[in-house]
Amino acid sequence: MKKLFITSALLLVSMISVFAQNEKYVQAMESSISLLDKVDKAKNDPVELQEIANRFERIGTAEAKEWLPRYYAAYCYTLMGLSGNSIAEKDKFLDKADGLLKESETLAGKPSDEILIMKAYAAQIRLAADGMNRWQKYGALFTENIDAAKAVNSDNPRIYYLEGSSLFFTPEEYGGGKKVAKPLLEKSIAKFAAFKPQSSIAPQWGKMEAEWMLSQANQ
Amino acid sequence: MVDRFVSSKTQNLSAMKLFYYLLFFSTSVAYGQTVVKGKVMDKKGHALPGANVFLKGTYDGTTTDSSGAFYFKTFEKDSAALAASYVGFEIAETKLSLKGKEIVYQFRLEELANELNTVVITAGAFEASDEKRMAMLKPLDIVTTAGAAADITGAIQFLPGAQRVGEQEGLFVRGGSGQETKVVIDGMIVQNPFFSSLPDVQQRGRFNPFMFKGTSFSTGGYSAQYGQALSSVLLLNTTDKASNNGLGISLNLANAGLNYDYATKNQSISAVAYYGNLKPLFTLVKQNVDWLHEPEFKGSSLTYRLKPTKHGVLKVYGMYSDSRLSMNSKDPSNESGKMKLDLKNRNAFVTSTYTDQWRDGKWLLNSGFSYSRNKDNMTFDAVHFDRFDERTQARLVLTRLLSGNNSVLFGGEAHVINLQNGVDGTLYHLKDRYTAVFAESEIYVTRQLAGRVGVRGEYSSLLDRFNVAPRLSFAYKTGKYSQVSLAAGQFYQNPDYRYLYLNKNLNFERADHLILNFQIIKNQRTFRFETFYKNYAQLVREFTGQAYDADPYRFPWGTTNNGGHGYARGFDFFWRDQKTIKNFDYWVTYSYVDSKRLFQQFDHAATPTFISNHNASLITKKWFEKIQTSLNMTYAFTSGRPYYNPNNEEFLADRTPAVHNVSIQASKLTSIKGNLIILYASVDNIFNIKNVFTYRYTPDGKTRYAVGPQSYRSFFVGTQIMLSKKAKVDKNDL
Repeated sequence: MKKLFITSALLLVSMISVFAQNEKYVQAMESSISLLDKVDKAKNDPVELQEIANRFERIGTAEAKEWLPRYYAAYCYTLMGLSGNSIAEKDKFLDKADGLLKESETLAGKPSDEILIMKAYAAQIRLAADGMNRWQKYGALFTENIDAAKAVNSDNPRIYYLEGSSLFFTPEEYGGGKKVAKPLLEKSIAKFAAFKPQSSIAPQWGKMEAEWMLSQANQ
Repeated sequence: MVDRFVSSKTQNLSAMKLFYYLLFFSTSVAYGQTVVKGKVMDKKGHALPGANVFLKGTYDGTTTDSSGAFYFKTFEKDSAALAASYVGFEIAETKLSLKGKEIVYQFRLEELANELNTVVITAGAFEASDEKRMAMLKPLDIVTTAGAAADITGAIQFLPGAQRVGEQEGLFVRGGSGQETKVVIDGMIVQNPFFSSLPDVQQRGRFNPFMFKGTSFSTGGYSAQYGQALSSVLLLNTTDKASNNGLGISLNLANAGLNYDYATKNQSISAVAYYGNLKPLFTLVKQNVDWLHEPEFKGSSLTYRLKPTKHGVLKVYGMYSDSRLSMNSKDPSNESGKMKLDLKNRNAFVTSTYTDQWRDGKWLLNSGFSYSRNKDNMTFDAVHFDRFDERTQARLVLTRLLSGNNSVLFGGEAHVINLQNGVDGTLYHLKDRYTAVFAESEIYVTRQLAGRVGVRGEYSSLLDRFNVAPRLSFAYKTGKYSQVSLAAGQFYQNPDYRYLYLNKNLNFERADHLILNFQIIKNQRTFRFETFYKNYAQLVREFTGQAYDADPYRFPWGTTNNGGHGYARGFDFFWRDQKTIKNFDYWVTYSYVDSKRLFQQFDHAATPTFISNHNASLITKKWFEKIQTSLNMTYAFTSGRPYYNPNNEEFLADRTPAVHNVSIQASKLTSIKGNLIILYASVDNIFNIKNVFTYRYTPDGKTRYAVGPQSYRSFFVGTQIMLSKKAKVDKNDL
C-alpha cells in the first residue's frame, strides 16, 4: 500500500512538473503573443518587433521541441522585412525568418499549413522589396507555398488573406487590383468566422488585416 | 528532485499536503536571484541594440537597449551558459557560475559572412543575376536595353571589354575575334549560338533571353571549368522552373509565336513554336541589302524540368529551327559587282543537365549531355558551299563545399566534333575528340582576402596534342564597399577549322591574360575599372606567296604554321547609377584597346580589322509608373577600324569613320480583359546616320565599296500577350 502510494505520488510529481513546465510555456507564449497583437501593424516598428522576436526565440531555445516559438519569431522578422530601410536590411530579416521557418518545419515533423502560409508571406514581402526583378522567382515561391498550404488545410483563412493582399498590391496590368482581390478577402473573412484555433497559442493573426484591406478594396 | 523527495520523510503527509508541497517545490526549487548585466557590441566596439541575451535552456533573458546594454535577473543556480544573438551575427556564448553575485559580461559578436562583408572573386567577370546581390546587372536589364533588339549578345556588346563589329556576329572581347568567345549554356558549349553567318549581315543569337536566370560575361581570366576560348566565355544559366502557367502569344513585324508553360509540383514543361518572315518589315524599312527571298524561318523548342529528389533538378531542352533566304551580296571581285547567295539552314540542339546536392549542400553535382547538329546548304552564284557540323558532349563536375566559404571542385568533359565543308563538289572532313579535365579551389584566407586556383588539362585528337593551362585569381576587400582583384591564366583554343582541313600538324593557339580590377558597389551605384594585358602566342600564320587577299570568305589554301603572335592591352570602366533620380537608371561604359597581331596572311604585325580602339556607350532606362511604360535609350560610339587598302603601301593603315548610333525603345504594360499585354516599339539609328563598318576594293584596287548596316534608320513594333491563369481569379479559387 505504501509502495503503491509512493509510486502514484512519484507519477503525480512527474506529471505536475511536466504540467507546470507546459503551463509556463503557454503563459510565456500567451504574453508574447499579446505583445505582438498590440504592435501597430501600420508601422511595424522594428525595435518593438525585435524585442518580441527575441522573446519568442528565448522560449524557442528553452523549448527545443516546440515549433510555435520559432514560427512566431519568424512572423516578427517577416513583419520587420516589411519596414526595413533598404533591400539589404529587409533581406537580412527575411533570411532570418526563412531560417526559423526551416527549423520549425523540421520540428513540426509533418507539413503545417501555418508554416507554409508564413513561408508564402515571407516570399511575398521579399517580392515587394524589389518587385520588378523579383516577381518571377518569389511570385512562384509564393504560389508554391500557398498551394501546399491549401493541400494541407484549405479552410485556413490566412491563405485567402495572403492571396487577396497579393492581388491587392499587384497592378491591374498584371491581373491584380482591388476588384480581383475583393472576393478573396471576403472568402478569408468568411473562413475566419468559422475558424477555431487549436489552442490559445495557435496562430490567429490576419483577421484585422483582412478586414482593413477589404474596407480599402470597397472604396 | 525525485531523489530528494525519496530521501525526505514525506510518508506521513496527506496526499493533499503532498500535492501542494510538490507544486511549490517543483516551481521554485531555487530562490535568491542573480543579476546578469553587460553590453553587446560588434568586433569594432559598436553597440548592438536589439540583441537577444539569454541563459541557454531557460526562459531568462532580455533584449539590449539602444546603447547595447542588457540587465536581467535569474533564479537559476550554479553553472549556466549566457548567450547573445543578433541578426546577421554569429551567436556567442559564455559559461557562467551563478551564485547570487552580480555578473557583468561584455559580448563582442562576429559578423556572419555575407555578400557585403566578404570579398568576391570578380576580375574579368560581368554578371547579370537575380540571386547574387552584388551582380551589376539583372537579367531583365539585358532584355530592356534599347538597341539590343532583345538579343543577349546584342546587349552584351555594350558592356565594358566588348568591341562592336557591325557586319559580323559574335562577341569581340578585348582585342579578340568573334571566334575567340564561346557561348556556354548550363556548362555546355553551344556549337552554333548564332544564326548562320551571311556576308556582311550581322546575325542574331538563337536563344531567347527569357530562358535564362543568369548571365555571366567573362572578359578574360575565367575559371578552369571552361576552355576552347582565347578571349571570353558567355555563361548562360537556364531558369529552374516555369514562371507562369498558361498560353502566351507573341506577335511582331518579324514573327508570330506561341508559348505554353505548364507546371506541377515537381515537373514543368515549356513549349515554343514560331514562324517568321521578314518580308513585311523589309517592305516598311528600307534595306541596304538586295533581298531575293527575305529571311523566312520556323522553329520550335521544348523544355522539360523534373525534380526527382529534394534538391535534384533534371532539365532537358531541345530546339529545332529551319530557315531560308536568298540575297544579292556585294562582291567586288565579280564583274557584276554582286553575287547571288542562297542559304538554307537546319539546326537542332538538345541538351540535358542534371544537378543535385547531398549532405546539406556540401557536395554538389553538375552533369550534362548535349548534341547539336547544323546543316547549311549554300550556293554562291550557283556554286555549292555546304557546311555541316555536329557536336556531342558530356560533362561532369563535382564540388565540395568546405567551411568558411572554401570550396574545391573537379570535373571533366568530352566532346566529339564532326565538321564537313563541301566546296563545289570537294568534301573536306574533320573529326576531333576533345577531352578536358580540371580542378579548381576557392580559398578564403580571411573575409577580406580570397583566391581561386585552378588548372585545366586538354587533349585534342585532331591536333594530337595535350596542353595544361593554369588559372589564378585573387580578390582583396579594400573597404566596406570596394575591392581590388587580379586574375591571370593561360587559355588554349584549336585553330580555325578551315586551316585544319589542310594541315593537321597545327598546334593549339594560346592567349595569356593578366587583369587588374577595382570596383565599388554602394547604394545602387556601381563603379568598376579594369585594366588588362593579353599576350597571344602560337597563332596560325598562312603563307601564300601572293598579295594579301582581303576577301573575308576566302578558303585558306596556303601553307600554315603556328608562328604567329600578338598582344592586346587596354582598360575599361563602367558606371551605373540607379539612385539619384527615382525610376531612372543609367550606365556609362568606356573601353579602350590597343592591339597588334602577326597572324593569318599578315607578313608583319598590324592591328586586325575587327579592332576599334575606343568603344563607349550610354544606356538609360526611365520608368513612368503612372502609365506603366518604360522608355529606354542607348547611344553607342565605336571609333574607326582598320581596313585593307591595296593602294596604301602601309598595311592596314587606313581607318573607317567612327560609328554612332542612337536607339530608343518603349514598352508599355497593360491589360485587356484580364490578360497581361506588353506592347513594345523601337527605333534604331534615329538620326539615320550612314554608318560604315568597313570598305572593300575591286581586284584592280580602283573602286571602293562601303559595307554598312543592313538598314539605316529602322523601326520595330510588337506585342506579347499572356493568357495566363494568374491573370484572372478562377471560380474554383472562391
